[in-house]
Amino acid sequence: MMTLTSYLMISTFLFLCGLVAVIARKNLIAVLLGIELILNASALNFVAYTRFVNNNLDGHIFPLFIIIVAAAEAAVGLAIVIRFFQIRESIHIDDATQLQS
Amino acid sequence: MDNVIFIISTILTVGGALCVLLTKNVMHACVYLLTCLLGVAGLYVTLGADFVAATQLAVYVGGVVILMVFAVMLTGGPNSQSSNKFGIVKIPMMGNAKTYIIGIISAVIFGLMAYKVLSRVITSIQAGEAPVFTETVEKIGFMLVTDHVLAFEISSVLLLGALVGAAIIARPKRGV
Repeated sequence: MMTLTSYLMISTFLFLCGLVAVIARKNLIAVLLGIELILNASALNFVAYTRFVNNNLDGHIFPLFIIIVAAAEAAVGLAIVIRFFQIRESIHIDDATQLQS
Repeated sequence: MDNVIFIISTILTVGGALCVLLTKNVMHACVYLLTCLLGVAGLYVTLGADFVAATQLAVYVGGVVILMVFAVMLTGGPNSQSSNKFGIVKIPMMGNAKTYIIGIISAVIFGLMAYKVLSRVITSIQAGEAPVFTETVEKIGFMLVTDHVLAFEISSVLLLGALVGAAIIARPKRGV
């Protein structure tokens, strides 16, 4: 049961859920949640390949950096969301039109 | 034992991702994201990546999701003070059956993960030897400061810049 294919299927499912959440949700925080799902899918792929294909630990280093980048991205993204809420009193994604004109 | 952890982690991951996608309430989506990340940590444990699983628990479940929850609370959302038709403010329940089921499954997977990680320590202590615990942790520590030291330093600068930038962006409006 625990084969490389099953891990890749789980990772693909996570990636698809994150992609649909980024595209379809109308809330800025929900879009950030989708980005977290996508980053987790990629990190899971790294660990799965380093377990089943080559057994060195380089594939364990890369998820650590992915987690670091995700934390930084979440901090900056949520700061932008809070600032946007202070300006427009809304976090609906269709209200972000200030840079269009 | 590994199959049990794998099945429960897969259920948590897939179900959490689907619920993040399908639920309407953003606060509920944050909690479902937490269960999804917990399942991913369980998958890391089945793959033999102890340190990555611990980092996932500490940074994601302890940091990022809490940050998300605070952002949801700071940006309004639906009016949470629910009252019935007589105008009496209704005290919301502590949880319903769904949240209790999710809590039980999370507790089970956390116990299994702790057992899996600590089993070598327990057996080696019973055999009267020093605990063999930090296999991947030691190697990852060596690799971080020898082969990947440039990426390590760059990530520290990135974190500093991101936190200062976030503090500047989210600063309240001055005067105006």
